[in-house]
Amino acid sequence: MPWRKHLPTVLDNLIWVILAAVFVFFATQSDKFLTPINIRNILAAAAVLGVLVVGQTFVLITGNFDLSTESTLGLAALLGLWLIVPAHAPNWGGGMMWNPYVSIAAILVMGAVIGWVIGALITYGKMNNFIVTLAFLLILRGAMLRFTEGNAVNGLNFPPADIFYWLGHETAFTLPWVGKIPVAVVAMLLLFLIGWAVLEHRPFGRDLYAIGGNRSAAVASGIDADKRIRQVYVVSGVLAAFAGWMLAGRVASVQVDLGNGYIFQVMAACVIGGISLQGGRGSIVGALGGVLLLSTIDRGLNLMQVSVFWVKLIQGLIILIAMFIDAQKIRFRSPVVESDANLPGTAPAGSPAD
Amino acid sequence: MTESSPTPYVVEMRDIVKTFPGVRALDGVSFSVRQGEIHALVGKNGAGKSTLMQVLNGLYPQDSGQIVVRGQTIDRMTTARAREVGIALVAQHAKFVPGLSIAENIFAGSLPRHGAGFVDWGRVNREASERLARFGLQIDVRRKMEALTVAERQMIEIARALFADASVIILDEPTAPLPKHEVRLLFEFVRRQREHGASFIYISHYLEEVFALADRVTTLRNGRVVGSAPTADLTLPQLVRLISGADVERFRRPARADVGESVLEIEHLTRPDAYDDVSLRLHAGEVVGLTGLEGSGNGALARGLFGLEPVGTGTVRLDGKPYRADNPAAALAQRLAYLPRDRHGLGIVGIRSVRDNVSLSVLDRLVNALGFVSDRRERQLVQRYVDALGIKTPGLGQAVENLSGGNQQKVVVAKLVATEPRVLLLDEPTQGVDVQAKVEILRIVDDLTRDGVAVAIVSDELTELTDVCDRILVFHRGRVIREFRKGIDEMTPERVLDAIEGGGEEGSDAVA
Repeated sequence: MPWRKHLPTVLDNLIWVILAAVFVFFATQSDKFLTPINIRNILAAAAVLGVLVVGQTFVLITGNFDLSTESTLGLAALLGLWLIVPAHAPNWGGGMMWNPYVSIAAILVMGAVIGWVIGALITYGKMNNFIVTLAFLLILRGAMLRFTEGNAVNGLNFPPADIFYWLGHETAFTLPWVGKIPVAVVAMLLLFLIGWAVLEHRPFGRDLYAIGGNRSAAVASGIDADKRIRQVYVVSGVLAAFAGWMLAGRVASVQVDLGNGYIFQVMAACVIGGISLQGGRGSIVGALGGVLLLSTIDRGLNLMQVSVFWVKLIQGLIILIAMFIDAQKIRFRSPVVESDANLPGTAPAGSPAD
Repeated sequence: MTESSPTPYVVEMRDIVKTFPGVRALDGVSFSVRQGEIHALVGKNGAGKSTLMQVLNGLYPQDSGQIVVRGQTIDRMTTARAREVGIALVAQHAKFVPGLSIAENIFAGSLPRHGAGFVDWGRVNREASERLARFGLQIDVRRKMEALTVAERQMIEIARALFADASVIILDEPTAPLPKHEVRLLFEFVRRQREHGASFIYISHYLEEVFALADRVTTLRNGRVVGSAPTADLTLPQLVRLISGADVERFRRPARADVGESVLEIEHLTRPDAYDDVSLRLHAGEVVGLTGLEGSGNGALARGLFGLEPVGTGTVRLDGKPYRADNPAAALAQRLAYLPRDRHGLGIVGIRSVRDNVSLSVLDRLVNALGFVSDRRERQLVQRYVDALGIKTPGLGQAVENLSGGNQQKVVVAKLVATEPRVLLLDEPTQGVDVQAKVEILRIVDDLTRDGVAVAIVSDELTELTDVCDRILVFHRGRVIREFRKGIDEMTPERVLDAIEGGGEEGSDAVA
């Protein structure tokens, strides 16, 4: 049975099979689907989500969550523009007139600081990661509301904001057939590439998998798990701020609710892509597949002119179906070599012996 | 079980075959248990013991063969069916809710209620007490489950199974997490239930215990029965030979005449409630056993030195330099490595591969100029240790949780050895490991001492300690009360046991 040998490989890359199936489906439903402009749109729509997913993947692999990234994104986008625009209409802002490069550096540092504080509360403060990041999701969004009192910052037709526009909109290069590839897409793919290299091939990334797989054993193997956890939250915070920069350039005008609700898509993309919420399992390459699947579905439904009243429902169902298929993987895996010390259900039950 | 006429069979398994893709786990196994019999099932890791019991317990359907319970053929065994016909499995770590009381655990899911639907606590506690009393267990049922010893939990689980009309109870490695005196309590309890007609299937690697407890022993090897006989008709060496299929037995390490310079020097180390004014030295090339009753300070000392727990006050020097480790990373950096007793909790990262586990502590040494782990160097390193330790795995990418217990333990040993330690502390290194793997692990320890590593073994396996150690230190209530030296003192398991159990009374004169 030579195909059996390849079965695990196929199962590990199931997301790409699903993505291909969805692609074929939409292509048969709409002749506008397989067009250069649509492919470009799918990629462009995936860019901001993808950047958040890279950061989230780092956190999830250690067995933690970061729910706060959508608020960090919103705050970074707002603050980045606010620092460079004049104080009065049509550009409501701080009147600080900062150099835009300094402003971008500032929001990236802000992302790092937010991440470090979250990580410190979880590790030094021994607080639950889900609750801490949920609190930050609210705190950062709340700070933004309080700060703007509902005003939007507008960077449209304001030359110093070009650096935002560059990341959000500019073309990096032109490919045959597909056409213009946005800087945002190149940046996202580069971040996935760097993320992959770090997670799979740097001692740092390997430590993260060990921490997520069995934190106590990782510590007993000489890994400073607490430090690593603070570091992944810094990574996640910086990437969220980076995504804010990108999104500010895309929308030009930053409203207080920018990024609101993104976290569900981020989590969905990671999990569909095979990243385990328990930590220790999953590849960032799969997470990229999850991102592309979500934005493909989004564009596809759009092209099929499905009523907006249906979209959320259909998205939810597709996520559920993808997860269902994924959950069945375990049945096809060959059972374990018998290990007497490890009957199912009797495995690690703490160590009452001590 | 003293009467001469045999009691009827309660369970008969006939010609059971079970295959997994690529593995014939059970190859026509027949296995029967009589009423009121304690029947031991022994064999190496991977011999088929667990699979056989899981077939009996309805977890896996057999490919062919028959299961007959009290004369009635069971067509399709399921876990629910197994419970109906009175088969119960008591796992090593009993499945309880630790934060709830004993009574709540006993009634889990079916708490008696008042008319209005509220729990009738008076009745819960009263009936739970009565039930346990019926099995000879006098215990306050309002105590939290987590406050009990492992043996008490196992006894309660057995009682719970018996109360639910189980007549055949499978005990899977019940004594592995137990200190010696609790083993005795558990055995007395099991014997008492046997007198009342219950049957037990007893799976264990501890062959002395098999002889102490079981009426009959069946040996599996490679999915086949290679012997089944009353324990009275067998000797320990015969049983070992049956299990291993060869004359592999104990690993005896000769005493070393040329012990090197002292590597680890501990002076007046004290941690309240753990150990008290401990002074000892480990020399290069030496193996020192640290033994004692559970909680006598030997295990705590090893964990403290490795930085898993606070080490307390006193001085420690390693290779002449002051040694201090607040965490395992610091200990490893100073070249002191520790093999934890709790393999699943602290030893392996089960879901990750053999490769990831073995290289985990030395990744920083395997990076190339760009800071990436060199795939080639990592493979070479891991392959070298996999070969040297004889780790049986389909590949370096195999998840460690899929390996047998002995091979999992070897993976942990490989990880430690890869750090090239000066001092190696091993906490129950052969726990839950089959005879062959045990010998292989001890042989590696011997190889390390030839390279000048100082080794300490925390264990209460006295035969093993006397076989491999140059010295044995006996701990009692946090103090070292006795030292045995190979070749100088009479270092036999019996003498060491006397010192352990005699405690402070007679051993107060001798100090390390």
